[in-house]
Amino acid sequence: MTTDTVSKPAPTPVTIKDLNTENPRWCAGCGDFGIIMGLKRFIVERQLVPSQTVNVSGIGCSGRAPNYFNTYGVHSIHGRAIPIALGVALANPGLNLFVHSGDGDALSIGGNHLIHGINKNFKAVFLMYDNEVYALTKNQTSPTTRHEHPTNTQPQGTFLNPLNPITLALGLGASFVASTADWIPDHLTNTMKAAFDHPGFAFVHISQRCPHFDPNNFDHKNSNWFSFLKHPNGIEPDRRLADKTEVVEHDPSNLAQAFQFGAAERRYFGLFFQNKNKPRYDNILHGVVANAPKKDPSKILDSFLI
Amino acid sequence: MTLEKRPVTRFELLMDAGYGAQKAGDILLGAFVGMGQYVYVEPMIPAEISPPARSRPALSGVIIRLADFDVTNIGNDTDLILASHEVVLDRRLDDNEFNPSAKILLDMRDQPGNPDSYEMVLKRCTKLGLSVIPFNVDEPSQSIIKELGGKGLNLYYLGMLSYIYNMDEEIVQKEIVKTFGKKLKEDIMAKNISLYHNGYQLAKEKVFFRVEVQSHPSPGEHILIDGNTSMSMGIIDAGFKLFSGYPITPASSIMHTLAKSFPSYGGMVHQAEDEIAAIGTAVGAYYAGMPALTATSGPGLSLKQEFIGFASATEIPLVVVDVQRGGPSTGMPTKTEQSDLLAALCGSHGDYAKVIISVSNVIDCFYAPHLARYLAEKLRVPVFIMSDFQTANSYKVVSKFKLAQMNGGVDNIPDFVLERFHMKRLEGAVQMVRGSQTVPGTEGGMRRITGINTDENGKINYFSDNHQRSHALRNEKIHHVRRALTLPEMFGKESNDVLIVGWGSSRGAIEEAITLCEKNGVPASGMHMRVVYPLPLMLKDVFARYKKVMTVEVAYGDKLKPSPLALLLRSETLKDVHPLIADATGRPLRPRIIMNKIQEVLK
Repeated sequence: MTTDTVSKPAPTPVTIKDLNTENPRWCAGCGDFGIIMGLKRFIVERQLVPSQTVNVSGIGCSGRAPNYFNTYGVHSIHGRAIPIALGVALANPGLNLFVHSGDGDALSIGGNHLIHGINKNFKAVFLMYDNEVYALTKNQTSPTTRHEHPTNTQPQGTFLNPLNPITLALGLGASFVASTADWIPDHLTNTMKAAFDHPGFAFVHISQRCPHFDPNNFDHKNSNWFSFLKHPNGIEPDRRLADKTEVVEHDPSNLAQAFQFGAAERRYFGLFFQNKNKPRYDNILHGVVANAPKKDPSKILDSFLI
Repeated sequence: MTLEKRPVTRFELLMDAGYGAQKAGDILLGAFVGMGQYVYVEPMIPAEISPPARSRPALSGVIIRLADFDVTNIGNDTDLILASHEVVLDRRLDDNEFNPSAKILLDMRDQPGNPDSYEMVLKRCTKLGLSVIPFNVDEPSQSIIKELGGKGLNLYYLGMLSYIYNMDEEIVQKEIVKTFGKKLKEDIMAKNISLYHNGYQLAKEKVFFRVEVQSHPSPGEHILIDGNTSMSMGIIDAGFKLFSGYPITPASSIMHTLAKSFPSYGGMVHQAEDEIAAIGTAVGAYYAGMPALTATSGPGLSLKQEFIGFASATEIPLVVVDVQRGGPSTGMPTKTEQSDLLAALCGSHGDYAKVIISVSNVIDCFYAPHLARYLAEKLRVPVFIMSDFQTANSYKVVSKFKLAQMNGGVDNIPDFVLERFHMKRLEGAVQMVRGSQTVPGTEGGMRRITGINTDENGKINYFSDNHQRSHALRNEKIHHVRRALTLPEMFGKESNDVLIVGWGSSRGAIEEAITLCEKNGVPASGMHMRVVYPLPLMLKDVFARYKKVMTVEVAYGDKLKPSPLALLLRSETLKDVHPLIADATGRPLRPRIIMNKIQEVLK
């Protein structure tokens, strides 16, 4: 095996078609179609080399995503995409790394890894597909299911208030926190761009429709219930919807204000927070190796001689 | 004054945790080795860092077996105990590992405050027929120890033991300087050295026996190394480039050793947020082309199981080191056991492929990573390296290992490594579920891996024939290993009344037990397996040459429940295998007890 990372440009420009594999096995109208299309658009726009690109996922509807990209991919086990992605980043730092994780995958079974992925701040785009329900296992309450919404496990109505992924990520010290939605393709692709260009772990929350189990989770036909965050250092509001809803100024270096927008009743799409200077664990580990005094491997036992 | 010459003897130093019994053991070991004697050392370590002094859980000590031949195990019973007070002595007597004529040197310094407790323990010794030699640390030394804040007692005891075992004071002093030299200020070092000599002097005045074991310096370069350190060096030599772990006793010291040394050889050490993340990152790195491994112990092995099955399903090479300890659950973190065999064999769900190799001593520890990497990459299966507390922590002097430097591909694994584990080089290509297993970054080789069942192109496939095919191919990989396995290591006659069989750390005790049996006319032979799954094909024929086949295991079993190895051997050979010893006491196997049990069985 080799870790050869020589990066060669693709011989011909990459198109959406090149990135397709089979027809995704998601329900009609599922927000996941929009999300992977947004990422494919970004890959094409940026001309990322498919053989230099790795999609990693856990389990759930979102977990299937890597199977639908003609790149490298790991469809792993429930909640554990982040440790796998870190292994890929350590083995070959030259790869383009995207992690796909659902609300249950990221905040419930994989919660510990999310804490430490954010803290380690290794270079990866983390896409949190949030449809507010466990869908592939057929309609159970997830950590982000809204209070009193009935599911198969809490038919009386979901007992607790949902976790807030934005303030959670901000509170954990995330170096990049953005939010977007599956049905606003322009904003979605702009968000992917900003996330990919971020030097660290980019946490991207994506509101995702689930027409099969919860057709009312997001009113994608109206835009009066959300606002866009706007700033020269932020993400451009969606060009189709910007004039149909509120656009607010928010400097992504303002953490206190980011918490306020994140905790608000109203939903905000855009860049909440970014800190390009947070140390990266992957760089640190590679640095430890690069800076260690080189020793002769034919003498590894010499210090044990008697 | 008698100077008794012996071919082999065993003694112990028992103290409260935190007072340097382990350090004293290290110094003794270095000094004995310097004098050309053979030693096998077993540390006794409490599960806590500093349990309250003078409490039974505080026992921290070192057992040293000293011989004029190459010793492979900790042996049978102790001939001498030096105890710093009556509580640690009382605790250790419970283990019932002393020679009936054993001598006990008991420090009486705590007696004035605890007269009843001392009296009770002294009575216990008398009842057991043990001769106790009470002593008090001389007054000048007591005040030095006071000045040192209670430290230095270990060096005083070291002095006493040096006298008793007829050690060269200069050699020991050199070892003391070597051990503490960089850490201690000059004046403190001088005080410690004087404590050492005062202890020596006290023994000279108060102890009326000395023991000498002949020295046999052997030619060539020798190293002194413990199991986990040896495995760490093996990991480097085998060409791994990432160690991904989570702290757990008794595997942690592999991570400590590598954290210090790996980067200088181009290797990374990643401390993960939990056991699952640790194996996940090893899986991710191997998928991306970097040879990686993880190490853990029982509780961590349980947590890693889902990823082990995933690696098998997705054909990502994976190496998992399990340094076994007493289980189930937290069990006994600082005691040895071999009871994770079935957890490795069947712990992940579904029928997953795996190879299980085990280590019996520090030499195996060095080469197991080479074999594990070879098998993991050739077959793209998870490979377990099963060690245990005893092997991980026992120090031994061995001839300097021949390096393999497997930095390139695994095909350059030397023959002698394969032979050590009783297997042949894998011939030809093993059919894979998927033909082209490219690494990310390889142009045109884009592929997705998934834990879902796939067809030969790696595409998700739920159809019945296809799933059966995947199982057959995964198992074919293991059969390929099975066919490459040669006869395991045998001791004694080729046919006999009894064959005792063991794996992993039991090797030394089996070898010595069979030597004992042969000396005493007990008709028994022995077998030791390093690769414990799969089992070699000729096993059934070999077993047929023995009237009884019995296992010796540091794992629980009884009349109604076979111990793990017995269960495996029964199922694979249909031989009526029972455990001869299935002791999960946390103590290593003892050769003489093995022989005694064989004699009982033959009655």
